[in-house]
Amino acid sequence: MSMIVVKNLKKSFGDNNVLDGVSFSVEKGETVAVIGPSGSGKSTMLRCLINLEQAESGTIIIEDAPLLVDGKYVNEKDARLACMKMGMVFQNFNLFPHLTVMGNLTCAPLELRKMTKSEAEKRAKELLKKVGLSEKADDYPSMLSGGQKQRVAIARALMMDPEMLLFDEPTSSLDPQLTAEVLAVMRQLAQDRMTMIVVTHEMGFAREVADKILFMCDREIIGEGTPKDIFENPEDLRIKEFIDSILK
Amino acid sequence: MTQFFKTAYLLTDGIKYTLIIFFVTIILSMPLGFLLTLARNSKIKVIRYLTATYVWIMRGSPLMLQLFFFLYGLTFIPVINKFLVMDRLTAALVAFVLNYAAYFCGIFRGGLLAVDPGQYEAAKVLGLGKIRTFVKIVMPQMIRVALPAISNECITLVKDTALVTAIGLTELMYFAKTAANNQVSALPYLVAAVFYLLMNLVLERLFAYLEKKYSFTKNTVPAQERPKLFGGRQKV
Ligand SMILES: Nc1ncnc2c1ncn2[C@@H]1O[C@H](COP(=O)(O)OP(=O)(O)O)[C@@H](O)[C@H]1O
Ligand SMILES: [Mg+2]
Repeated sequence: MSMIVVKNLKKSFGDNNVLDGVSFSVEKGETVAVIGPSGSGKSTMLRCLINLEQAESGTIIIEDAPLLVDGKYVNEKDARLACMKMGMVFQNFNLFPHLTVMGNLTCAPLELRKMTKSEAEKRAKELLKKVGLSEKADDYPSMLSGGQKQRVAIARALMMDPEMLLFDEPTSSLDPQLTAEVLAVMRQLAQDRMTMIVVTHEMGFAREVADKILFMCDREIIGEGTPKDIFENPEDLRIKEFIDSILK
Repeated sequence: MTQFFKTAYLLTDGIKYTLIIFFVTIILSMPLGFLLTLARNSKIKVIRYLTATYVWIMRGSPLMLQLFFFLYGLTFIPVINKFLVMDRLTAALVAFVLNYAAYFCGIFRGGLLAVDPGQYEAAKVLGLGKIRTFVKIVMPQMIRVALPAISNECITLVKDTALVTAIGLTELMYFAKTAANNQVSALPYLVAAVFYLLMNLVLERLFAYLEKKYSFTKNTVPAQERPKLFGGRQKV
């Protein structure tokens, strides 16, 4: 069963057409990497999926919950329920600076009464252990390195038990060493069969970890396939040029 | 020295009004300023403009003028003037609260604008609604940014209370002036200055404590090393 189905998504900012009929689907347990030149609409596409941007037309169905059907959004409550199936990790982490790591993880589950305080703290400790930050629970985000912040952000997203995680260039503001520690956590998630859509410039990660690659360029997905298809036999010249330029 | 304490005793009556004006203004103008901030960011254009105009008028004209306006000016308005007659203290409080609310509106607004838009997005994708996001995520960060400016405003307020002398309220400055005339000495002014300075010392310590407490950096320090209000032993 598809975890998410996107059909003919269109979005523009003013008269700047950013997405011009994007369609794809992601199966449960799949890791999909989205690559392509900057400005091609990758972030906008991802933000549309979780309703941070509103598309003008198209269809988005998350598991069995529609968010957008033929250009019409479902009501606010249903939209929220649909989006709650997903977690998102941002390039700039967006941790809450006034809360400790523990506070960042437990804030939403407690506010939404998804868990009791002790359940939330127990789960938070498990997840911090999973991302290798057990000893940081009482620290504030300002005391963490970028890599640590991003791992906290991943743990925070996992606290809500999402069916799927969206990543928007999660390592683009990190240096190589910190990038590696974040990618390691994401690799682990892929092995655990978490469904993931990852916008990234890390070609190594896309090639080794992704089950499928979407190549975005000029407002559209111009290539879709396994890493082998995309990296070794790209159909479109633009894909070949991009990969050559990045691997150089 | 005994003369100093005698004079201090003479001035204590005046401190009453100084403190009343200070506390009533703080307690009422901050929430009002906060509401103005929300109105200033309203989706409705008319409300935004009205608020901006209000802030412009209240910050742009002298507080002294506003004091006279609320005490005397309103009584010249035909028909409704009989409902607008206020005693001196009420007029002073109205002027101070409305004036300071405008300043606090500006300060809170600055704090609000300083909150990274990414914070709203992070809260949204975690499923937090608008109100929860504001109360739990935005407001603490806004207050943190606004603290130094709030501190400044409070200190200014302590000193501004002296303005009500102009409308004949017998606060600290009034007593200092009278005592100075009677004693033919500058001592009462000195004593009054000490009072103002002491009040502001308390405020400065209080805000230094709050700023440390809201710095969002350290938590792993043991309790005895956490910031203390007056160097005492109270638990934080
Ligand atoms: N909030 C916005 N307002 C106006 N234009 C935007 C906004 N966000 C993105 N864009 C434009 O949309 C296009 C695609 O941007 P983006 O989705 O960020 O691309 P990518 O993530 O692939 O680099 C760019 O031309 C960008 O200028
Ligand atoms: Mg982007």
